[in-house]
Amino acid sequence: MNIQEYIESGILEAYVLGSLPESEHARVAADIAQYPELASEVAAIEDTMWMVAQAGAEEPPAALKDKIWAQLNKEETKEEAAVQPAHKTIPLAGSRSYNLRWQRAAIWIALVGSMLVNFILWSQRTNTESAQVAMKEQLDTMQHQLAMLQSSTQKQGEMLADSNMQTVVMQSMKPGHPMAATIYWNKVNGNTYLAFQKMPPPPTGMQYQMWVIQDGKPVSMGTLDKNLGLAQVSKLPMEVKAGQAFAISLEKEGGNPTPTEVYVLGKIS
Amino acid sequence: MSTLSIYSEEELVLLLKQRSESAFNYLYQNYANVLYGVVRKVIFDEQTAQDVLQDVFVKIWNNIGQYDAAKGRIYTWMINIARNAAIDKLRSKGEVMKGKIQTGDDAVSNVGKGMSTEQSTDTIGLRKNVGNLKPEYRAIVELAYFKGYTLDEISKTLDIPLGTVKTRMRHAIQLLREHYKQ
Repeated sequence: MNIQEYIESGILEAYVLGSLPESEHARVAADIAQYPELASEVAAIEDTMWMVAQAGAEEPPAALKDKIWAQLNKEETKEEAAVQPAHKTIPLAGSRSYNLRWQRAAIWIALVGSMLVNFILWSQRTNTESAQVAMKEQLDTMQHQLAMLQSSTQKQGEMLADSNMQTVVMQSMKPGHPMAATIYWNKVNGNTYLAFQKMPPPPTGMQYQMWVIQDGKPVSMGTLDKNLGLAQVSKLPMEVKAGQAFAISLEKEGGNPTPTEVYVLGKIS
Repeated sequence: MSTLSIYSEEELVLLLKQRSESAFNYLYQNYANVLYGVVRKVIFDEQTAQDVLQDVFVKIWNNIGQYDAAKGRIYTWMINIARNAAIDKLRSKGEVMKGKIQTGDDAVSNVGKGMSTEQSTDTIGLRKNVGNLKPEYRAIVELAYFKGYTLDEISKTLDIPLGTVKTRMRHAIQLLREHYKQ
């Protein structure tokens, strides 16, 4: 911030004269607290305005002083009076036994009633609080998912932009079951990345297995994590130097040496 | 003004918080004239002005706990209470008519005509001291200080840009500042 410009703008004068809208007034107050140069300028303006006010001083009638003092005292006693009733004790008198029984009953009813209300309010509050916690958790999860989606989209974008990277889209081999997954393959260094676009979660006891077809034969690239999400892009552990196609099959947990049921397949062009 | 006891700002605040009669005496002795002067610039009617001054003292008395020394001087705080109380009164009551005759509007229309009047000069009590403050500067200080106009309102009333209002406001106060330095 340029202090000199700030001072020259006249905003501090407007601040002292109280001519700023509330939000701006608060902002300037914060600036003044932060910059001593502004504070001393404000002090000088205040001194000037005080002298202006002094120049316009006018003596009120002498009787006013006592009148105001009396008024201030009245205000004091009013305040005290407002506190008074709390100190008062209720006189116990009259036909006692009859009255007392009713009074006791009334007190019990009031007490039980108040406890009941307290309990209801308390349980309502607890409910609200736990609902709030659940909501926050949900929000956190969503935020996490969103962040993952963003980084994955970015990663896919970067991979598509890489001219060494070949994209192989694997499509469903099972008629009536549209599925898709993509392999990003770097032919130069052999790195491969996998992204699921549309794959059902594997049934229990089963697992997806990744294959590359080399010289007409399927070579296993390993089994895939069961919890692989749709948004994730994961690097596959094996470097691929050559191949004609990529494929994913459904196998028993732990995988198989050869594919049993190929779900998706994509030829390397 | 009494020279018997002079308190610093902090001491005055502490004194006021005690709510003693001597605190009131000090406050009244040192500030009543200035505060009454501020009120009278807005409220022409003497009786109404005295009622407002009474309200002002009650407010100072009751709200001293809310005064924040970090935000400005105690006298600025008190002047603002006086000014706002007077303006509120003016706006709420039939005082409006009398106020119009006395203050800002006159100055404004006169600025429009390019002339200065004795009356409007006198309303900010500067006639003796700052006879040479130009009407366009005086009008801005008057509207802001004694009529409680915001920058926006001044800009619209005088039909000049907001930035100009601010720089003129600064210039006017600079002139006053130099004057009082001497």
